[in-house]
Amino acid sequence: MSKYLKINNLSYTYPDGHKALKGIDFSINKGESIAILGPNGAGKTTLILHLNGILGELKGEIEVDGLEYSSENIGKIRKTVGVVFQDPDDQLFMPTVIEDVMFGPKNFGYSNEESETNAVEALKMVGMENFQDRAPHHLSFGQKRKVAIATVLASKPKLLVLDEPASNLDPASRRDLIDILIKLDISIILVTHDLPMALEICERSLVLNEGIIKEDSLTKDILQNKQLMKENRLELPYGFALHHLGEE
Amino acid sequence: MYSTTHSHHLSLHKESVLKNIKPELKILSTFLIVISIAFSDVENLFQILSHSLIVFLILYISKIPLKIYLKRLTIDIPFIIFALFLPFLSSENNDIVYTLFGIDIYRTGLEDMFGILFKATLGVTMGIVLTAVTTTIELIYGLQKLKLPQIIIAIMSFAIRYIDVFIDEFKRVRISMRSRGYQEKGIKGLIPIAYASGAMLIRGYERGERVYLSMISRGFNGSIELKKREYDNSVLLIFLTLISIFVLIVDKYL
Repeated sequence: MSKYLKINNLSYTYPDGHKALKGIDFSINKGESIAILGPNGAGKTTLILHLNGILGELKGEIEVDGLEYSSENIGKIRKTVGVVFQDPDDQLFMPTVIEDVMFGPKNFGYSNEESETNAVEALKMVGMENFQDRAPHHLSFGQKRKVAIATVLASKPKLLVLDEPASNLDPASRRDLIDILIKLDISIILVTHDLPMALEICERSLVLNEGIIKEDSLTKDILQNKQLMKENRLELPYGFALHHLGEE
Repeated sequence: MYSTTHSHHLSLHKESVLKNIKPELKILSTFLIVISIAFSDVENLFQILSHSLIVFLILYISKIPLKIYLKRLTIDIPFIIFALFLPFLSSENNDIVYTLFGIDIYRTGLEDMFGILFKATLGVTMGIVLTAVTTTIELIYGLQKLKLPQIIIAIMSFAIRYIDVFIDEFKRVRISMRSRGYQEKGIKGLIPIAYASGAMLIRGYERGERVYLSMISRGFNGSIELKKREYDNSVLLIFLTLISIFVLIVDKYL
């Protein structure tokens, strides 16, 4: 089976000597969604930055859709792999929502008209089409998050990477977000502490801790493995029951 | 939650003919009219009257409520205070007009005072009108149309975007300081504020880095372009600007 994203022995050491990633190996099939679970400081955000070729030298450890990560390919790769960062205020920097959503497509060579069509379409996908001319700082946190996702969807990526998308959201906004993500017809890498959300969206999960992938299997199996969960500082929400999973 | 005050948003939501005019035209007109006022001759009654007429006509069609206009005119006060000292100084011949309680009032100083009062007030009025009928985004858009360097446009739009984020963050820091018993009193009360400001500076720097990362991951290649917008032309504004320049030139050279 052809692998869509391949990561072979990816390591990264920060300039201060901290080893954030120590030989990461995994791959994803086309259309597959995976969750990356792990405690704070496990190296999740570092891994995400690598998926967009932002940190460090690229020596072909990562390959997406047959494209090796190199400085010539980086433009194409950033168009293919869309990253939604943790804090929407970091992602939304233009004076109006529509301009922010058009920023990516314009950079990736779409014409002004195409960019606008893409942007409106992306805003519709997240249910924010009526906020086009609003200033991002006047939106609620949940709305900002949705717009941040639209800014990435507007460039039509094939792989969507989300860094803690559910953090700071109220339950209804979290539900909206999950519904939006389930409807999307692209691969997703979901980095999260929200285990029920990972279970709902991704069949498969990786457990990342101390820069090493500790486990790569079905999400429901990981959540049921008490020993593994405890070792990697993961915990299901209080009162959350998993007994129905075995019956599927 | 923590509300942001939008007191720095100067544009008014009132309908005015000037509201939907091309921002680049408004900026250029304001600039040219202010320049011609600055170079005008205050001893010349014709110039004073015609410039005042133009400026107050623009103020009238901008439909800014008088109360708001006067309130914003207070920015003029430092100039007025400065100007009020001038009659006691002389620049050339010590021609004394009047002696007030033994203090001489000089003619040249008196003229300078009138000059500053007239020019500053008219200039500030133009600025008030421009900011009241143009939103900040439109101002940036207009400056972009006037071919201001990309980097300056980018810096200005970032400043507008992040000033609220920054103010909110600082408010939260102060709330958390007060909730731990901090009282802003005396010089000692400033020390924690100084530390907080330092922390804010570092946070701002780090946010800048994160914003930049999110920009390059969306293919940023050095230019930020605002969306195309539709605006009207204004013959009246062009006409008034031309008159203003004409008044200056006619009197200077003819």
